[in-house]
Amino acid sequence: MASATDARHGQKESSDQNFDYMFKILIIGNSSVGKTSFLFRYADDSFTPAFVSTVGIDFKVKTIYRNDKRIKLQIWDTAGQERYRTITTAYYRGAMGFILMYDITNEESFNAVQDWSTQIKTYSWDNAQVLLVGNKCDMEDERVVAGERGRQLSEHLGFEYFEASAKDNINVKQTFERLVDIICEKMSESLDAADPAVTGAKQGPQLTEQPAAPHQDCAC
Amino acid sequence: MAADSDPESEVFEITDFTTASEWERFVTRVEEVLNDWKLIGNSAGRPLEKGEYSNGTWEEKTQEINFADFKFSITHHFLKQDSAENDGREEPEEDAVPGAMQDLLCMNNDFPPRAHCLVRWYGVREFVVISPGANCEAVISESKCNLLLSSVSISLANTGCQVPVFVQIQQKWRRMYAGECQGPGVRTDFEMVHLRKVPSQYNHLSGLLDIFKSKIGCPLTPLPPINIAIRFTYVLQDWQQCSWPQQPPDFDALLAGEVGGVEFGKLPFGACEDPISELHLATTWPQLTEGIVVDNDVYSDLDPLQAPHWSVRVRKADNPQCLLGDFLMEFFKLCCRKESTEDILGRNSLEEEGKENSDISHALSKLTEPSTVPMSRLSVSNMVHSARKRIRRHRRVEESPLSNDVLNSILLYLFPDATERPSEGSDSKATQSNAESKVDKESEDYKLYNQLKSAPSDSLTYRLSLCLCMVNFYHGGVRGVAHLWQEFVLEMRYRWENNHLVYGLASGPPDLRCCLLHQKLQMLNCCIERKRSRDEGRKGGTGTETGRERRVSGRAPPDGGKAKLKPEGRLHPHGKLTLLNSSEPLYIPVTQEPAPMTEDLLEEQSEVLAKLGTSAEGAHLRARMQSACLLSDMESFKAANPGCSLEDFVRWYSPRDYVEEEAADENGETVVRGDLSARMKIPGNMWVEAWETAKATPARRQRRLFDDTKEAEKVLHYLAVQKPADLTQHLLPCVLQAAILKMKDEESSEDIPSVRRAIQQVISHSSKLLRHPNPDNKKLEDVINQVMEMEAVVARARSLKAKFGLGKVERGDDAENLERFVSSLQEEPEVMVIGAGRGPAGSIIHKLFVNAQRVALLSPMEEDSGRAGVAEERRPGVGGLPDFPPPAGREILLRTCVPRPAPYSKALPQRLFCVLMREDFRLAGAFSSDTSFF
Repeated sequence: MASATDARHGQKESSDQNFDYMFKILIIGNSSVGKTSFLFRYADDSFTPAFVSTVGIDFKVKTIYRNDKRIKLQIWDTAGQERYRTITTAYYRGAMGFILMYDITNEESFNAVQDWSTQIKTYSWDNAQVLLVGNKCDMEDERVVAGERGRQLSEHLGFEYFEASAKDNINVKQTFERLVDIICEKMSESLDAADPAVTGAKQGPQLTEQPAAPHQDCAC
Repeated sequence: MAADSDPESEVFEITDFTTASEWERFVTRVEEVLNDWKLIGNSAGRPLEKGEYSNGTWEEKTQEINFADFKFSITHHFLKQDSAENDGREEPEEDAVPGAMQDLLCMNNDFPPRAHCLVRWYGVREFVVISPGANCEAVISESKCNLLLSSVSISLANTGCQVPVFVQIQQKWRRMYAGECQGPGVRTDFEMVHLRKVPSQYNHLSGLLDIFKSKIGCPLTPLPPINIAIRFTYVLQDWQQCSWPQQPPDFDALLAGEVGGVEFGKLPFGACEDPISELHLATTWPQLTEGIVVDNDVYSDLDPLQAPHWSVRVRKADNPQCLLGDFLMEFFKLCCRKESTEDILGRNSLEEEGKENSDISHALSKLTEPSTVPMSRLSVSNMVHSARKRIRRHRRVEESPLSNDVLNSILLYLFPDATERPSEGSDSKATQSNAESKVDKESEDYKLYNQLKSAPSDSLTYRLSLCLCMVNFYHGGVRGVAHLWQEFVLEMRYRWENNHLVYGLASGPPDLRCCLLHQKLQMLNCCIERKRSRDEGRKGGTGTETGRERRVSGRAPPDGGKAKLKPEGRLHPHGKLTLLNSSEPLYIPVTQEPAPMTEDLLEEQSEVLAKLGTSAEGAHLRARMQSACLLSDMESFKAANPGCSLEDFVRWYSPRDYVEEEAADENGETVVRGDLSARMKIPGNMWVEAWETAKATPARRQRRLFDDTKEAEKVLHYLAVQKPADLTQHLLPCVLQAAILKMKDEESSEDIPSVRRAIQQVISHSSKLLRHPNPDNKKLEDVINQVMEMEAVVARARSLKAKFGLGKVERGDDAENLERFVSSLQEEPEVMVIGAGRGPAGSIIHKLFVNAQRVALLSPMEEDSGRAGVAEERRPGVGGLPDFPPPAGREILLRTCVPRPAPYSKALPQRLFCVLMREDFRLAGAFSSDTSFF
C-alpha cells in the first residue's frame, strides 16, 4: 500500500518506531480560522475557546489503523499570519497531505483559499493531497460564507470539501480519516501504475532488441 | 510397465524391487508429463489465420525428467489461442487427422519472421521437445537416438497424445530433431538431414523435388501436384556508399579557445558506429507448382527482382557505443568512488595549510584597511584568475589533471560574468540567470527540474553538472572532476570574501524543489547578499550620527526613559492606521528577513522541534524557540512607532486578533471600540511575554536572526568536503535532466512515437526515484540504461533514414509510404516491401545492393591500380555484374498430399523443408503414412 521508504523516513524523525507508515500532514489557512483548535479536537479530543496564537509551527501526533497497518500521523499546525508564510511554506515539501482551512464566519479567510492553494502547488510535492475545510460551522448565526460557495470552490480547485466544527466536534475525525484514505489510495495507485521496479522491467524490452528466439530462422 | 503405472510405485520408488527398467520408467515419466499438460486426445484446431504465428504469442512449459541419471528437459511449445473460441468449437470427428498434420499443409504461415525453428520447418502450432539437460552431453550414437525415439513412440501410443513430440539429437548447435506424431490410424515421421556442404545435385529446386518424390515413393501416376514455396535471402553488409554520418565530436578543438562557452552546455549524442549492421532482403515466391519455374544446375528462373513478395529485416548492432549513454554511465560510475578530493589531488592537502596561513594574514590586512578596493574597479575575470593563482602557485602545472586552457574555458563558461565589463554593472545581472537568453520559464521543459529535483537549465548548478560530466569523460576522469571542483569551491570562497554574487542562481531563499547542492549555492548567495546590504547600509549611512550608532550596536540601546524617543527603522506608513494612544500614523518597520533555509537545515530543525514531543511544555518550548522572529519584529515595531502598544502591533501583524465592536458611549454616540482577541489576552501568553521583553531597537541594530558569516562558512565547508562521489549524487539529477531534454530534442527531429512514450516513462519514473533523499543506485542505473536504449533507437532511425535517403525524396504519397516503411523496420521483425522490387522502397533496396555489388567486386581492382593494364582488361566484366550477390540462404518448401505407403492408403500430408546456405544444408521432412491400410 505504501512504500517502505515512508516508514524509514518516519523512523528518522521520531524515536517512536511503533508504526508501519508515517504521514506528514499540514494544516494551513488564515490566522484564527481555528487550525489549532481543530488539531486539538482531533488529537486530544479537547476544546478550549482560545488557544495562544501559534508562533511558527507546532505539531501533534496521532496513530490510526488502516487495513491492519498502523499509520502515524504527524500533523503540523502552522501560524496563519502573513509574516509567517516564508517560514511555514518551507515545511510544505515533504507533507503528504494538507488541510486547507477557512472560517465560515470570515469572508477574508475564504477569499484567501485560492492563494493558499497556489502556495501548495508551488511548494509541495506534486502528489500531495488537499482537503478544503470550512471551520466553525457551529456558528451558523455568523455565517458569511455559504456552504455552496465552499463546495463550488473546492470543485474548482479539485479538492474534497468538508464543513466542520472543532467546537461541536463535527466532521473533525472524518476530515482526517478521509485525507488518510485519499493519501493511501494515491499511494497504492502510483505503486501499481508506475512503480519504478515494475515499469522499468516492463518498459525495457519494448525498446530493446526484439526478443529473437535463439533458433529463430536458419536462412539468414 | 504394468508395475510402473501402479500409483504406489511413486511412493516406494527407492525400495522398488520390481523388474521395471530405467527405460520403462522413462517412458512412464514422459507419459505422466503429457498427461499433466493435458496433451491427450484429439488436437485438431481451427485453421490458422494468415500471419498468426508471428502476431500471436507463443508460450512454453518446461519440466525435467530423468533417464537413469541422465537429465532431459521436456518442453511444450504452443501458440496461445483464444480459449473462448476453442470452447465454442464443435467436437471434431473421432478419426480426424491430428492438428499437427493439418498444419503441415497450411500455407498461411510460411516463413514466419519470428518463431522456433521447428515451427518454421514443420509449420506446427504446438509441439513437445525432449532435449538433453543443460549440462548433459548430446545424444549422438544411433542406438541412443533410436531408444529415445522408441520411448516417444511408446508414450504417444499409450497416451493417445496427438501433439508431435521431438527429440533433439546430435550436438545442440546442429539443431537436429527427430520426432513423431500419431493419430488414429495415421502417423507422421519427422526426419532430418543436416550436412556441412550442399551436395551439388541438390543445389537447386529440381534436385530437391527428386528427393521429395523418391522419399514419398508415391505409387500413383500421375503424381498429385507438388506445391512449392521458395524464399531467397540476400544479405547487405556493406554500407560503404552511405558512410555512417556520425562523427565523434572533437572536444579538444572545442576547448582550444576561441569557441564560446555555449558549446559546453551541449551533450554529445548518437552512435559512434553504425547501429544497423545488416539488411536482409527476403524474396519470396509463395506459391509455385512444379513446372512453372525452372531451377536446375544450369539455369534458374528465380530472379529476385521478379519475386512477387519482398520483405526486409534489419540487424541491429549489439550494444552500439552511444555517446550520450556512455557519458551518463561514466558519470554515474563516479558514485562508487570512495576517494575525497584531497585523496585524489594528493599533496595538495599539505599546500592547503600553507595557503590557509597566507589567507589568514591576507584576511587580517583586509580587516585593518577599511573597504579595500572599490568593487567597481575589480573585474571578475581578474578575480577568477587571482583566485586560481593561489593554488596554481603550489602545484606544478604538469601535475594538474586539467590543463590551463581547458580549465580557463570551463570557468568562463561557468562564470560568464567574468567577461562582462564591470562598468556594465554585472552585479545587478548576476542573479538573473542568463537574463538575455530566451529561456521560456513557463515551458514544460524548463520546469522539468521541479520533477527531477535537479536545477533550472539556465542555472550555474546545471552548467556545473555538465562540465563535471564532460571533464570526467574527456579530461582526466575522477582526477579532473576533483580538480574542477576544487577550483569551483575556491571561486565560491573568493566570491564570498569579495562580496560578489554568484552568477546564474535565482535570487531569494533556497529553492527546495532543487537539488541540495543548488540550495547550498543559493544559500551562499543569500549570505553574500545580506553581507553586501549590511556593508552598503554602513557606507550609505547619513552623517556621523549613524556612524556613531553603529559603534554602539550590540550594546543595549540607551534607555529612553521619559525622553521622547526618536523613531527609527521605519519602512513606510501603514496608511490606514494611526496609533491608538496618539494621533501618530502607524509605521510599518523595516524588519529582519527570516533566515533562509536549505532542506537539510530545515529537516534538522523540524527534527529538533519534533523531539520536544507533543506535551504542553514541549509546545511551549517550541513556540519559544521560534519566537526570535516575533520578538525581532516587535522590537522593530517599537522602534518605528514610539509610544505604541501591543494592540497597535497586533493590528498590523495579526489584524484578526484585534476585535472592533461598535458600542454606544455615554453620550449615546456610536463609537468603535477595539480590544485584543481573547487569545491575545490569555495571561502570560507568548505574545504578551515577547512584547514585554521587546526593546525598541530597529532591525539593523538587532542581533542578526541570520548569521550570514556563519552560514556562509558552513556552506563553504560543506562544499569543500564533498567527494567526487557526493558530487555525482548531487548532480546526477541535473545530468539526467539534460539527457532527457537532449533526447526530447533529438526525438523531435525524428518523430519516433516509441521514444516519445519512453521519455515520458523515464521522466515519471525518475521523478519518483529522485524524490527520495538517497535514491537506489541500481534503479538509477536502470534509468540510464533506458536512456541508452532510446539513444540507440534514435541512432538506428537516423541510420535507416540515411540509408533510404529519406528527406531527399520529394514529398508525396511515395515519400510517406517510404517513411512508414523505414520506421516500421525498427519496430517490426520483418517488414513487407510494398510493390516488391518495383515499389519505391524496393527500388532503393535494389540500388543499395547494386552499389554494394559494384564496390565489392571492383574494389580489388582499384587497389591494384598500379597494374592498370590488367584492370583495363578485366573491365568488360562490369557490364555482366549481377545486381544481387548470391543468396545467403535459400529455403524451399515442398508440400503435397498423397496416399502412403500403399495406393489404397489414406491421402496424407507430406512436407519437405529445405534450407540451403553456404555452410549448412538441411532437409527437414515430415512424411505421413497410413498405419491401418498398408
